[in-house]
Amino acid sequence: MPEWQGQIPVGPDNVTAAPVELPPEMSKSITRHYRRSMGNAALFATLAAQAAVEQSGLSAAELSGGRTGCVISSTIGSSSEVYESTKAVIEKRFNELSACQFFRIVSHSSAFNVANFFGINGVQLSPCSACASSLQSIGLAYEQILAGRQEVFLAGGSDEVTPIVVSSFRHLYALADSRELMPQEQSRPFDARRCGLVCGEGAGILVLEEYEHAQRRNAPILAEIAGYATNCTGSQISQSDSSSIESCMRLALDDAQVSTDEVDYISAHATSTVAGDREEAAAIRAIFADRVPVSSCKGHLGHTLGASGALESAAVLEMIRHGVILPTGNLEQVAEDCAGLNLPLAPVQRQIKTALKNCIAFGGVNASLVFKMPA
Amino acid sequence: MTREKLIAKVNQIFVEQFELDPAELTPEKRIFEDFALDSLDIVDLITGLQRQFGVSLRENKDVLAIRTLQDIYDLCEKLVAENPDLRAKISD
Repeated sequence: MPEWQGQIPVGPDNVTAAPVELPPEMSKSITRHYRRSMGNAALFATLAAQAAVEQSGLSAAELSGGRTGCVISSTIGSSSEVYESTKAVIEKRFNELSACQFFRIVSHSSAFNVANFFGINGVQLSPCSACASSLQSIGLAYEQILAGRQEVFLAGGSDEVTPIVVSSFRHLYALADSRELMPQEQSRPFDARRCGLVCGEGAGILVLEEYEHAQRRNAPILAEIAGYATNCTGSQISQSDSSSIESCMRLALDDAQVSTDEVDYISAHATSTVAGDREEAAAIRAIFADRVPVSSCKGHLGHTLGASGALESAAVLEMIRHGVILPTGNLEQVAEDCAGLNLPLAPVQRQIKTALKNCIAFGGVNASLVFKMPA
Repeated sequence: MTREKLIAKVNQIFVEQFELDPAELTPEKRIFEDFALDSLDIVDLITGLQRQFGVSLRENKDVLAIRTLQDIYDLCEKLVAENPDLRAKISD
């Protein structure tokens, strides 16, 4: 995934964002019949799903046998296509748009486009919850498999950087805007000089599979999902709140029947906003003090919004596989309000038997997932 | 407008919109079976023809009878013949 394309002009001002520049041949690898109903979010999701399916070794028959589902979500189906459609309505030229325009816009666009591409005909879901979308997708897939409703899921999320999204964060003073920092230095979770988030885009898709089913077909098992929880503040739509984040992590650990002492690594949501990082840091400190290494992928990738939970889960799986904890990108000096945590400044060689992944979203939504190293 | 020009305008839609190879575009080709177009594509085809010829086709019942590329050429030729303004506009 290309990182940090630098500052791009989006919206009325130049604001920081890290867009993906997809080579045309990569887009064209999806035939027009499937591509026509995809905005960029669904296109990212389909390309990521192709890589995930290939790595998993799932056959076409397994995907279309009725026991495989698809749960993929985004903040908005395709915010670039929402923008184009709205512009066309205002300019009174809606009839010039493609017949597939609505299929690119709807909230579950990534889910049905991926399902259609692979012939998946089981359960299809799309639990859209902004920046917690894809972690909720993975959690929902886990619950569906636990309940015996499906044996396999493609689960994750995708999202786009557009003026709608970036300008909204900017309006809320949540976007990084430091004049002293280079574009690639602006996203710096937990750091003393953090000043807001940098929007990224992309997709993350995981293959979830019932354990015996995976064993029977000798699937490469990267990790076990041991527990999941999601909750909300019920009182705030924009502010993170440490007590509900703490509750969510405790619920996920309870679901996994894992004690706090067993957690080897925490992949924080930490977006590099002043208030958000402070609240999550307080929640983690209340449970783990400084015993467990914590880092955020967003210093490396920016905030990929609805894709972040799954993309960063994929990073956690790689850390488990390689036995190394990656530090938070751009973290140089831990901020006072994030002190008291174990925040590595360099890679840490460590066997990760149990990892916790957090996501926190507008709407007061929290989600936490517990991964365990495969037995 | 010469028939060649008309055919080129129609074919341009199939190349640009439906990403077909120009060499495949022969009059006898069936748009559903040979080009694998479906009902969504037909909406886009109507939009493309409207854009190319500057006429509204959404309520035109002749569209429902289209099966081959030749049918589309014939429909467009009929449109041009029935519409002097269009004939003048696209004969340039």
